[in-house]
Amino acid sequence: MKVQILNPFIQAAYDVLKAEANCVTQRGDLSLDKAAYITNDVTVILNLVGQVEGMVFYGLAQETAIFLASAILGEKFDELNPLAQSGIAELGNVITGRASVMLSADNIHCNISPPALLLGKGAVISTLDVPRIVVPLISPQGQIIIHLALRHNEKPSYKTNQIPIPTAPSF
Amino acid sequence: MTNVKFLNPFVDAANEVLLAEAEVSAKRGALSLHKSAFTSNDITVLLSLVGQVQGVVLYGMSIPTGLELVSRIMGQQFAEFDNLAQSGIAELGNVITGRATIKLSQAGYSANISPPTLIQGAGVQISTLDFSRIVVPLVTDIGDITIHLALRESHHSQDDGITSVLPGIA
Repeated sequence: MKVQILNPFIQAAYDVLKAEANCVTQRGDLSLDKAAYITNDVTVILNLVGQVEGMVFYGLAQETAIFLASAILGEKFDELNPLAQSGIAELGNVITGRASVMLSADNIHCNISPPALLLGKGAVISTLDVPRIVVPLISPQGQIIIHLALRHNEKPSYKTNQIPIPTAPSF
Repeated sequence: MTNVKFLNPFVDAANEVLLAEAEVSAKRGALSLHKSAFTSNDITVLLSLVGQVQGVVLYGMSIPTGLELVSRIMGQQFAEFDNLAQSGIAELGNVITGRATIKLSQAGYSANISPPTLIQGAGVQISTLDFSRIVVPLVTDIGDITIHLALRESHHSQDDGITSVLPGIA
């Protein structure tokens, strides 16, 4: 995976966290992980489809998530209730959306899926044959860890209705 | 709101693929609609759709069911859910969803699908937020495979990627 795809995400996350949650982050060390990811308390999952495809997820601890939701929504949360969950998922959505706009400025076009939220420590997320680049963003309120399992899609982008259904005799 | 018209392509595709790839015949169980987060089964395959239909599709099953499925698909016995087995189950989700999107496009809703992701570990909560989920269990003799559809029609055209201008953040 090229750095060209990585930087927009870091930049977008930094911008959005600063603007929305007044949370200034510092980038930690990059790493490349081929193994499956064991989840932290809260994981926001989004997928990219297009010239770059794959999965982006943001992992954070419960306290960090509650802090961010409180800061974004301007109201104090004690637990990660549905409203706070929605705020965190939206944060992932905004960061990824902004990153995809930056990518399109670099002439890499992709669309993003709606977010899904995974709650609970210890689940294992596998992106299969796509290796993950891991970037921690460190803030005083805890770490927000960005995982990027993206690859360039070299195939011409067919619309699904242009793909013929192959005939299988057993159907 | 998830639209029921998106349901049948997935159920049909799942039936066809399971029968052809694993020689498993599936019966459709009772439908239900859920608004809350769902608690995962052992194995969950997650895929997203982006296009005129957008959202998340999840396939849940237990480890014994997953093992039996990959054993049948690949023609060799799997005793543990290793990398190859994981890849086989994720691919199964991919094939079912791909086939379903072709059927959807014939009904006038074209969408692209993301690569699959595998989530393992029972008891974590997966929330699709404001997308309510239609849940269809497929009952087979090797165990249930549950399809969760959290889809909605997208009203803006997403045909040619994002062309909007990046707004500055104050």
